[in-house]
Amino acid sequence: MQEKVEAQPILSMNSVEVLYDNVMLAIKGVSVQVPQGEMIALLGSNGAGKSTTLKAISGLLKAERGRVSRGEIKFEGTDITGMLAQNRVDMGICHVIEGRRVFEHLTPDENLTAAAPTGMSRSDLNAEKEKIYNYFPRLAERRNSLSGYLSGGEQQMLAIGRALVTQPKLLMLDEPSLGLAPFLVAEIFGILQKINQDEGMSVLLVEQNALAALEIVSEGYLIENGRVVMNGTAEALKSNSDIQEFYLGGGEGTDFHNVKHYSRRKRWLS
Amino acid sequence: MFYRLSGVHHANYVSDSRIFKVPADRNLAIFVFLFGLAAPFLLPSLYLNSYMLPWLIWTAAALGLNLVTGWAGQLHLGYAAVMAVGAYSAIHAARFGVPWEFALIIGGLASSVIGSLFAFAALRVKGLYLALTTLAMQFVMDWVLTHSPAISGGSHASLQSPTLALLGQDITSDTGYYYVAFGWCLLVTIFMLNLKRTGLGRALVAVREKDFAAAILGVNSFYYKILAFAASSFIAGVSGALLVATFFFLAAPEQFSVAVSIQVLAMVIVGGLGSIIGSYLGVALILLVPGLVNGIVAGGSQSLGMQINVETLAHIPNAVYGALIVIILLIEPLGLGKLYGNIRDYLMVWPFDQLRK
Amino acid sequence: MDWIFLSELAINGALTGLLYSLFAIGLVLIYKASSVPNLAQGGLTMVGAYVVLALSHDAGLPLWLAIPLAAVIMFGLGFGIERVALRRLAGRPVVMILMMTLGLDIFLRGTTLAIWGGTSRSMELGVSYEPFFLGDIFVSRIHLVGAGVAISLFVAFMLFFRSRTGIKLRAIADDYMASWSVGISVERGVGLSWALASVVAVAAGVIWGEIQGVDQALSLLLLKGLTVAVLGGLDSILGAVVAGIILGIIENVGADFLDPLVGGGSRELIVAAVLILTVMIRPHGLFGRHDIERV
Repeated sequence: MQEKVEAQPILSMNSVEVLYDNVMLAIKGVSVQVPQGEMIALLGSNGAGKSTTLKAISGLLKAERGRVSRGEIKFEGTDITGMLAQNRVDMGICHVIEGRRVFEHLTPDENLTAAAPTGMSRSDLNAEKEKIYNYFPRLAERRNSLSGYLSGGEQQMLAIGRALVTQPKLLMLDEPSLGLAPFLVAEIFGILQKINQDEGMSVLLVEQNALAALEIVSEGYLIENGRVVMNGTAEALKSNSDIQEFYLGGGEGTDFHNVKHYSRRKRWLS
Repeated sequence: MFYRLSGVHHANYVSDSRIFKVPADRNLAIFVFLFGLAAPFLLPSLYLNSYMLPWLIWTAAALGLNLVTGWAGQLHLGYAAVMAVGAYSAIHAARFGVPWEFALIIGGLASSVIGSLFAFAALRVKGLYLALTTLAMQFVMDWVLTHSPAISGGSHASLQSPTLALLGQDITSDTGYYYVAFGWCLLVTIFMLNLKRTGLGRALVAVREKDFAAAILGVNSFYYKILAFAASSFIAGVSGALLVATFFFLAAPEQFSVAVSIQVLAMVIVGGLGSIIGSYLGVALILLVPGLVNGIVAGGSQSLGMQINVETLAHIPNAVYGALIVIILLIEPLGLGKLYGNIRDYLMVWPFDQLRK
Repeated sequence: MDWIFLSELAINGALTGLLYSLFAIGLVLIYKASSVPNLAQGGLTMVGAYVVLALSHDAGLPLWLAIPLAAVIMFGLGFGIERVALRRLAGRPVVMILMMTLGLDIFLRGTTLAIWGGTSRSMELGVSYEPFFLGDIFVSRIHLVGAGVAISLFVAFMLFFRSRTGIKLRAIADDYMASWSVGISVERGVGLSWALASVVAVAAGVIWGEIQGVDQALSLLLLKGLTVAVLGGLDSILGAVVAGIILGIIENVGADFLDPLVGGGSRELIVAAVLILTVMIRPHGLFGRHDIERV
């Protein structure tokens, strides 16, 4: 614990509030720290504010008429709260948005080219592509077919690969497991872990699939109704009884005598 | 402030389905109505004839386009052609000796038939492609009009409109023309105001939002699209006929050219899609402001002793007209109607924060 | 039927068609890079032609200098249009974007005429009007020059869209949000596409200005340009060229057959009919992309 306080986190969010359309408060004071080189998960149910948190960090809020109305976001010590999305990408934050939105009418190869930073030389780009194809051999096989026709898993891999081309220091993924078969989720998460270890890249992962996420991350935050309601190491979260009940699908089936008790507990949590 | 209520809160269904949900809106409408009724006695005939009359008829026409574009969500760039069909049919019928009451209805029905042809394009494509198809249809109609002397009235391509007569009364005075236009605009407005309270209006909105989702809910989007085009074309036809009968007196193809189609669409969009008061405001802005600005520029340059080229002066209204479209879309893409709503909502709870719905 | 006459009609039609392509490339560029239908290309073409005239005739510059200079000015204007008019409408429904480009078109036309007046002026490129014979077939020199320009622009843009910047523009057209997420500046990309389309407008303005005089009739090319763009597929440069040739031939040959029947002026009708049929039968055109729908 002591070390973490001393080492500067690569990303720190301090009580950030996000307002959509000037009326809708989507997150209400979220604070998240991502230590250098770690993998962190944001867990929570639909509409809890996980995606909004990521968009606040990546600067994509603006495209949806949202803005950070309070709090600050620091990346490597610099305040990035008001910065344009593209400048944040240049600084090394890349956001893999929800729903594997690859450039459908481009080939995987072109998808990777499109994401390359403007200053990157051709040889660097090719080396980078080779590296990505090494991580995702399935993509290499289909590098010249149209991305729109790739399978869901391949599209997700492409979306991650495309983000890697931007040379991120912090990779943020929004539900990479959405709609994928469990073995593919395992494969993708395995690759993520490998990338994290090989490149020392910090990862912020948003997941519904808490079970899979907690296997690979070191620390997790639980978000409900736009607030962080719990955080701790993956081990601690996994063994927490509330988490087990609501997000890991509890061990011993539903005990109907306790239903009322649980719902009260949950309200207290949020 | 002027509204004496803080927000729109309904306690029962009757109040929720009122046409005017805010009493001040109703009062405003009544005031405008009374002003419209009294206008011939208040305004000099020049204003009545060259501003009020075209404003009212174009508003009726714009409301018709709003029905199909604003409510049913179908882009239409051939509206002037549909107006032309109505105008020419009605005038030919009137010249043939049909009483004007029936001639107008014939014009409206003829427009409905032709306008429904546009609907068949709408069944196949949407959005941009529909706009392009209707645009092409406008060109076809233009071509037919200019190339068939039997329709457009001989080699001069102009067709004299016979004297307008309604209910056995010849209408020749400015006041008479004005009241005809006023009555028609009122009729269309009442129809449109009630539309949103009917099943038809709701079905059209459902088709606009997502036609196949509407189909899943049992709304026959095929039927409603055609109905929307037919109804809007009827309004277009009668408006076109009245425009010639009370304003131009002489029908010519260029009164219904592509530029006019674009102009009506501009009126509707600048006014606000689906907004009735917006259509009134949009027509006023597009129709009257360019001329006004031109007058100001001409007057201003004269008083400053500057010489402005005649040609420059002639083209300023067009530039202003284009600039107005751009500016309004930049200020509020949902148009003047939305702008009016924003101001009203702001004042309704002033001096507190904005209205929450 | 006289075959030589027919092939003369076809060849001249194809050349005219390539000049339509020259216009349509401007539409396609913007659609390909931002999925925005650009109905202001007519106005831009007019402005392009008038700027060249202002530089060459009014300011007295030689044409070889005036045309590139006009291209530079128009490049800036294109960026300006994106910045002022289109940026705030990104993501709005197509109705509003369509209206915006129509408003721009009206504004550009009105402003141009207010500044330079409505009387037709000639471009005086200095291309000879001497007939040029291809075997037995007569072709106009200026049409040949224009076709050459169209084809070189086509090749240039084909290469451009394979370059890294070009790929980024195509990515923008696919998905604004995903483009932002990987650090592509969508605004700059869309601006660049408008700037390039404005440069194309200079080329189209010069060639068409030489053929039919510089006046507001230049903006009437919009219908033909749109038809070519739609027939070729709104996002395909190759399509614009092929469709231009096809439309030119259909128009020239068709008009020759139809004109005696209907008393002239059937070109517009043929073009409109081609547009309607294309949209009804094959909305994505000859080479346009299908929208990929996976379930």
